[in-house]
Amino acid sequence: MSQVKWQASGLQVHQASDVTSEHIALEADVVVVGSGAGGAVTAYELARMGKRVIVLEAGPYVPSQAFTEDFTESLHALYQDKGGQANSSGDLLVLQGACVGGSTVVNGCVCFRTPDFILQDWQRDFGLSELTEAELAPYFDEVEQNLSVHDNGEHEIARHGQVIRAGANKLGWSVKPLRRNIRQCGLTGHCLSGCKTERKQSMLVTYLPWAQAHGARIYSDTRVEKVVTEGGVASGVEAVVTRHDGTVAATMTVKAPRVVLAAGAVQTPVLLLKSGLANRSGLVGKNFACHPSLLVAGRYPEPIHPWRGAMLGVHVDEFMHPDKGGFILEDGGFGLVEMTMLAEPGTGKPFMEYMENARYLAGLVTLIHDHNVGAIEWDGERKAINYQLSDADFPSMKRAIKAAAKLHLASGATEVYVPASDKRVIRSEADIDLQVDSLENDPQHLRMVSYHPQGTCHMGADPDHSVVKANGETHDVPGLYVADASLLPTSIIVNPQITVYALATRIARHMS
Amino acid sequence: MKNNNRAPLPGHLAGLEPLSRRGFLRASVLAGAALTSGCASLFGRKDAPETLQYYSLKPDEVDVITRLTEIMLPTERYGLPSSTTVVPTVKNIDIMAQRFPEQTRELLGLGIWVFNNRPMMSFKFKKFTSLSDAKALEYVNAMQEGAFFERGLMTTLKALIALNYWRDERTWPGLEYHGPVTETWGVRRLGNAPLPRA
Repeated sequence: MSQVKWQASGLQVHQASDVTSEHIALEADVVVVGSGAGGAVTAYELARMGKRVIVLEAGPYVPSQAFTEDFTESLHALYQDKGGQANSSGDLLVLQGACVGGSTVVNGCVCFRTPDFILQDWQRDFGLSELTEAELAPYFDEVEQNLSVHDNGEHEIARHGQVIRAGANKLGWSVKPLRRNIRQCGLTGHCLSGCKTERKQSMLVTYLPWAQAHGARIYSDTRVEKVVTEGGVASGVEAVVTRHDGTVAATMTVKAPRVVLAAGAVQTPVLLLKSGLANRSGLVGKNFACHPSLLVAGRYPEPIHPWRGAMLGVHVDEFMHPDKGGFILEDGGFGLVEMTMLAEPGTGKPFMEYMENARYLAGLVTLIHDHNVGAIEWDGERKAINYQLSDADFPSMKRAIKAAAKLHLASGATEVYVPASDKRVIRSEADIDLQVDSLENDPQHLRMVSYHPQGTCHMGADPDHSVVKANGETHDVPGLYVADASLLPTSIIVNPQITVYALATRIARHMS
Repeated sequence: MKNNNRAPLPGHLAGLEPLSRRGFLRASVLAGAALTSGCASLFGRKDAPETLQYYSLKPDEVDVITRLTEIMLPTERYGLPSSTTVVPTVKNIDIMAQRFPEQTRELLGLGIWVFNNRPMMSFKFKKFTSLSDAKALEYVNAMQEGAFFERGLMTTLKALIALNYWRDERTWPGLEYHGPVTETWGVRRLGNAPLPRA
């Protein structure tokens, strides 16, 4: 085993600016594609077992101190497609990190274990009998400890969380502090722009430096274009190193008998489709779900300052079980730029008044248990995210909006803004049905965002009806693994990062 | 090989088939999208508006966006910096558009053209830039509640304008928004987390 060389700050990353030759040829025991939740964990687990690990990340390496706390600039610097990744009809932004550390760098730190009723569905419907609560518990325990996951303390529940909690208590709804992977939260409210002081326990400051301490090598600006096989068995990847001005710095090949795809639920299936691999079932890219989310804003009589304090404080899980609605509500802080995108208060005077009163707004994020109706496609030139909220899920979305409105009103809000394309304001309970029932499941009618793409290479026991085994290996290609949210057979209602960490840990242990 | 067999467009877009075929709908997206590209850090937001030159938007596009900005953000009445004479909102959009891929830039231009020229009987088929304040507002509201395409286009243009106004730090004090705080507050860095115990 190599000598452990942990460094106290930053990462040693091979970047496009370091490239001096036209072609780079590398060899390893394992090549990991992607450096987010799945890739970083897998890299660390295998490196600490003495494997020679190479991590390839398509995005740039942006050190924490370079984060700007400016959301618009962060979208450009840290997000996939510069924040513009959307579904085909353009009414659903799919926000994913595209940098070393992946989405873990730009998420809100929320950590839920996979709900047990979801695991039971997977066992029953997908033959994943191994994935029981008892089997996964030790993995959850371990990653939660590694990432300082804890229930928000009282000081981590900002004003917007406090009013929402009070409203939920008034309604008798179950409300709990969110669990987050953060150490000594700085309460800056800029989670979505990356944590400048390394308090968020993202992969950038945890598993990646740990993997590197055990000898893993990390390459940024390196997009894998193809997975290579020999005799039907994984043998490595081909990649392109691209400078930040878009020019090609070098081509790269990595020979490795184990290939782990952890590029996320949009990019991983694209790579498999490009490579023409692991698609006996025809399900690569299919089965896409994403927790289409809305941010329902409410205006309060007293100042809230939704940008102050920890971004996410509490959640209402009263309706989490599908039998009760299949959605959760999380209080959500936001800044001015986000505010302009989340509601349609009208044009001119009403818009100005809405913004003028920005400090009186609080937000609720809805997450619904959507069905896996979407698909990631590759037409030879570009990817497409074909996803429309299904008619089966639309009632759930409306129930979530209604619950958010009711909760805002109970919390003392005087106005609630329905995040639709047209102006819809709720001022009393009597308005709720009126404003929400008339919503239509048409493109461009709801302002949706997804932070949780899932399901596009889903696990299952049957190789004709799934892409990957429960141990992460593809059914079709020995040595080729998937270790990201592509694995999830159904949407899991809750933020998926901890589920990915736990599954990736388990996959890596099985690989070794 | 490129697959051109894309899903058919919704029927109500039939009249806008050429635009849709070019992917406008997806690009209206880009609104939500690339519109956010970081331009404030370049040179736009401190320039005096009268000195501005536009490198990406054409003159008629500047006129349309300026007029929509006036209708959408009558800022002076609210004690906020002017959206046209203090904060160079349109210039910021111009800078952003420079960073769009060529196809996206073309689609944005197409969208602006359609928005300005969309003939509507109730507005006597006038261009948007020729409408009075009241009629212009009415037109925007009609688009906002219109068909799929119209809603998407309107949402896109409004998002472009709002983002490129409120990203300017001069708009923040009036709303008590603090902007970046870590350095102001002197929050210290923690560095990498220690290695887990075996």
